Amino acid sequence: MARRLLLHVTLLALGFAGLRLAVVPAEVCPVVTAAQVSHAADEAAAWIVRNMRDDGRYLYGYDRDGDEISAQYNGTRHAGVTMSLYQYAAAAGRPEVVAHADRGLAFMLERLTMGAGWEAWRPPGEDVQLGANALLVAALVMRRNATSDPAYDEAMRSVGRFLLAQQQPDGRMYALWDEDTGEAVPVSGKFATGEAAWALALLEGEFPGEGWGEAALPTLDYLALHRDRDEGNLTRMPDHWAAYALAEVGPAGLDGVRRAYARQLAGYFGIRLRFEAQRRGTGINLWLRWVPGTPAGVGTAGEGIAALWRLARAEPGLADLLPNVEERLACFAGMMVSRQATAADAAGYPRPGLVQGAWFYRGYVQMDDVQHVLSGLLAARPMLEQREVAG
Amino acid sequence: MTAGLLAAAYVAAFNVARTRLGVPEDEGGRARPGVLAGGALLVLGVVAALAAASGPLLRVLEITPETFRIAAGFAGVIAAAVVLVMPRPAAEPLPRRWRAAVWPVAFPLLLGPEVLALAVATGSQEGVAATVAAAAGALVALFVLGFLPRRPLPDRVLVWASRVLGAVLLLVALWLAVDGIRDV
Repeated sequence: MARRLLLHVTLLALGFAGLRLAVVPAEVCPVVTAAQVSHAADEAAAWIVRNMRDDGRYLYGYDRDGDEISAQYNGTRHAGVTMSLYQYAAAAGRPEVVAHADRGLAFMLERLTMGAGWEAWRPPGEDVQLGANALLVAALVMRRNATSDPAYDEAMRSVGRFLLAQQQPDGRMYALWDEDTGEAVPVSGKFATGEAAWALALLEGEFPGEGWGEAALPTLDYLALHRDRDEGNLTRMPDHWAAYALAEVGPAGLDGVRRAYARQLAGYFGIRLRFEAQRRGTGINLWLRWVPGTPAGVGTAGEGIAALWRLARAEPGLADLLPNVEERLACFAGMMVSRQATAADAAGYPRPGLVQGAWFYRGYVQMDDVQHVLSGLLAARPMLEQREVAG
Repeated sequence: MTAGLLAAAYVAAFNVARTRLGVPEDEGGRARPGVLAGGALLVLGVVAALAAASGPLLRVLEITPETFRIAAGFAGVIAAAVVLVMPRPAAEPLPRRWRAAVWPVAFPLLLGPEVLALAVATGSQEGVAATVAAAAGALVALFVLGFLPRRPLPDRVLVWASRVLGAVLLLVALWLAVDGIRDV
């Protein structure tokens, strides 16, 4: 009997050890304060500003191990980084950053092209794109929030009309505009549709009653119901821009479909962040979970869960999500504060100014890595402050 | 998790038909009542303790309850696969008198890894009372089954019932894993 008992107990122990290693490694969420998050955001914004070029472009990418600066560039990412700088200026109360973000903005506004009643910017060497222009609108709205300066109100409307020109009757958005044919190109962009929905929802906030919010809703419904099938996605896409858009339309813009979509998105961001918290990048965990994810990937999950936190606080029908959403958001903040390159880390590299304040994935940082984590941390800070006040 | 699903989860995890095949019997072909009752009570105590301690336990292990449901689902899938392949439990050596309640009734017949994981998962999600009620219901079903003489319950019927409950466990386990993935 003792032999059988030993056999069963051994099998049980091996089974649980296997589960622990392969299925549920510890989810490690460093605890951070709102002040630490603010400091990390300061460092991230400083990285973007410090490494800007004279022409208003940002440092696109840097390999710290090979001391190699990427020669690539991307207009949509440029717009996104500019937007995050304005977000930072508004959220952190740092008006001096606006001047730097304005240089990034000028890079876009100098490249506007005219259409039938609209304007859109065309990044050098790229097509006129929906996503790049949606994020230009978002950047302009964030600038308005940071400065209360109405100087670009007409530009916001004008680029907003480009977004409407790309919108189809079912809410789908075409991702490109062909300047030669003067027509929208019927292709979808992976994130562009969500970016456009968010931009339209933001415009409603700036210019209520002009119909921008009504235009955002069919696109949100398209994202909720049809996008994944149309684009051939195997699983629903965890679209943080859609989460931003849902948060922006708020409870007044929610119906059963959009509320259910918000729940689904919360689930996607939740499992993404839980999985991320299991990653150590060392030992056997490296084989089972690989290295910690790309900062842009984790950052977008943080942005998405933060947007849904704002929505769930306002919408009673989603209030049951709040405890878990707050846990995931706090975990995101803790992970990313602890993963940021500090001054001490940077000192060990040939160009510390290109390292300090950034987040690297296997030695490489790209500007959208810093953008998304910065935006996520800025959105997490109010929740952490609330928790600290509540004790 | 609905009450019905919770009840089905414990009936399937305890696999009352498979367990009945392994419970020591008296000469009349009925389960030995003291042994069965003792084993069931011991198991109920373990399930209650795990459910009650699920919160602190998961905190110590640094696992969110949502993620643990994925693990419980994995354990359930593996256990269900074992049941579907081997619907009859292995014959275990029997100790004398009350000790048979501990071995083999409580362990390994009832307290398999799927039951231990399920107790933690449902304890953290559904609460201790609901977990204990569901487990108690399943154990009562086992007790009733134990008192039926074997003539109307030939092995063939119990083996097929064991397979059916294995399939139910598979479905419940998949549901648990998917729910853990989809939850926030």
